[in-house]
Amino acid sequence: MSISLSKGGNISLSKTDPSLKNVIVGLGWDARPTDGADFDLDASAFMVNSDGKVRSDADFIFYNQPKSACGSVEHTGDNRTGAGDGDDESIIVLLDKIPADIQRVIFTVTIHDAEPRKQNFGQVSQAFVRIVNKDSGVEVTRFDLSEDASIETAMIFGEIYRHTNEWKFRAVGQGYAGGLAALARQYGINV
Amino acid sequence: MSALNADSQVLAKGRRVALEQLFANYAPAERFQIGVSIAGLSVAVDFACFGLDAQQKLSDDRYMTFFNQPQTPCGAVALAAPAGDMAGFTCQLALLPATVDRLVFTAAVDGNGTMRQMQAGYLRLLTGLGQEVARFAFNGNDFADEKALMVGELYRKDGTWRFNSIGQGFNGGLAALVKHFGAEVAEEVQPPKPVEPKVSLSKITLEKRGDKISLDKPKTASGYGRIVCNLNWSAQQTQKKGFFGGKSADKAVDLDLGCLYELSDGTKHVVQALGNCFGSYEDVPYIHLAGDDRSGAVAEGEFLYINGKYFDRIRRICIFAFIYEGAVSWTQADAVVTLTVPDHPVIEVRLDSQGKDSNMCAIAMLENSHGALKLMKLNEYFGGHEKLDKHYQWGMKWRSGSK
Repeated sequence: MSISLSKGGNISLSKTDPSLKNVIVGLGWDARPTDGADFDLDASAFMVNSDGKVRSDADFIFYNQPKSACGSVEHTGDNRTGAGDGDDESIIVLLDKIPADIQRVIFTVTIHDAEPRKQNFGQVSQAFVRIVNKDSGVEVTRFDLSEDASIETAMIFGEIYRHTNEWKFRAVGQGYAGGLAALARQYGINV
Repeated sequence: MSALNADSQVLAKGRRVALEQLFANYAPAERFQIGVSIAGLSVAVDFACFGLDAQQKLSDDRYMTFFNQPQTPCGAVALAAPAGDMAGFTCQLALLPATVDRLVFTAAVDGNGTMRQMQAGYLRLLTGLGQEVARFAFNGNDFADEKALMVGELYRKDGTWRFNSIGQGFNGGLAALVKHFGAEVAEEVQPPKPVEPKVSLSKITLEKRGDKISLDKPKTASGYGRIVCNLNWSAQQTQKKGFFGGKSADKAVDLDLGCLYELSDGTKHVVQALGNCFGSYEDVPYIHLAGDDRSGAVAEGEFLYINGKYFDRIRRICIFAFIYEGAVSWTQADAVVTLTVPDHPVIEVRLDSQGKDSNMCAIAMLENSHGALKLMKLNEYFGGHEKLDKHYQWGMKWRSGSK
């Protein structure tokens, strides 16, 4: 049975599901359906080292660069409306392929063109991130974070990180102003 | 207490915040107020509060609080504008049933115009004493062609109430908003449409006793405008009355139009030719009877004018017709009452019941139902004022008189 995490909580992926090798990180949200500008939310992943920075721009996985050079992290596609049940976007992570100098893979969701469209996470509800075993299809853990941001335009949903010899997942739920660009700069991307 | 408060929190669009946090430095928020205003639109704006269930639907339409229904059954939300605001609500969230999960405060333009055309608007939270605690401000640049907005909402989260400033809406106006909250209510907020094309495309004829029509709420400062009730009948055996108004011997038909009224302050009386109670249009009771036509020869018949500007001061009006003399039966009189409310379809009631020898017929009841004009066809026959009064529980004392 899937374990629900609350903000800040973490779980050992290796212990919870010893068979877990290939992960689907599913991210979902509902934007309030109104007649204003469309909400376009984008999931991204940052692969960072022990300093919390990317090794290069190649470690930033997003709509314009859907797959890491090593092949361990892959974005499966952009959903421009957030329509439909279940995951709105998903990122596949092959744990065994993650380079040894990558300490964490951080999963974020940002609102595209948030400023001109006057949008923020306060207008988004039912946001979640879940970790699914790609091979068995079983959900390992889940974090519902709809209330954890409001006027921010970028959110760290969660992260997969190394801890001694295992992989863990942490429910982060931290919001930032400035959208994807601000977040990317924070991790050392040249935007 | 002054509504000005330098410490009032500024709420950005999309902000989510616990009520507890907003009211932390104030008196407990068991009872607080919401105030809303939108300035600079040339058309009227309707404000409402939708009480939604956990599925974000208006499953119980008694929890839509607006001009036609000024409070929820539980009393938790009541229409009341704080000083200085165009509209508003008092909220006592503890009174809400658990099924109501969310209160969404909305604004909708009535007619042409879009939210882009507004100069500025805001939603603010105030203490029960009227001190401003927080404010969500917006202006026309925040919008495009929306005609209806969800301005802000209060919602339950983990056992507490939170506030979210929304500022998003629909181009389709109030109808789109209502559809968004659950389509089954849509028909009930629409004014009734004429349904009897076989009679006249522009008239509503109330055929069955007890049919109720709720007219739309007042649109302008003059309320319902001039409400005109006309009684007309086809005179049989007509003969003009003498110069001094002496009664003719051969039983010309004389029907009289009149009404019992009850004002919002409890005043009760009658308007009718009998006893020279012609009333007044601009003064109490805001009802005026004109044109006592004893013969039916005046083509227009008799008129009762109700001043819709003061409809808020009127509780109910029972319009009646009675046979002063002459007519043997109602069928013979062939009388028709038409009620005209400006901007609304003409309502027509035909007094066609057979075999009644009672000289008095209650025609229609106009009721002020929370500001909305409700009309019910009565078509009940009585043997005089007193019996009619008693039936509708007016509670006045009667003595005979003549005109």
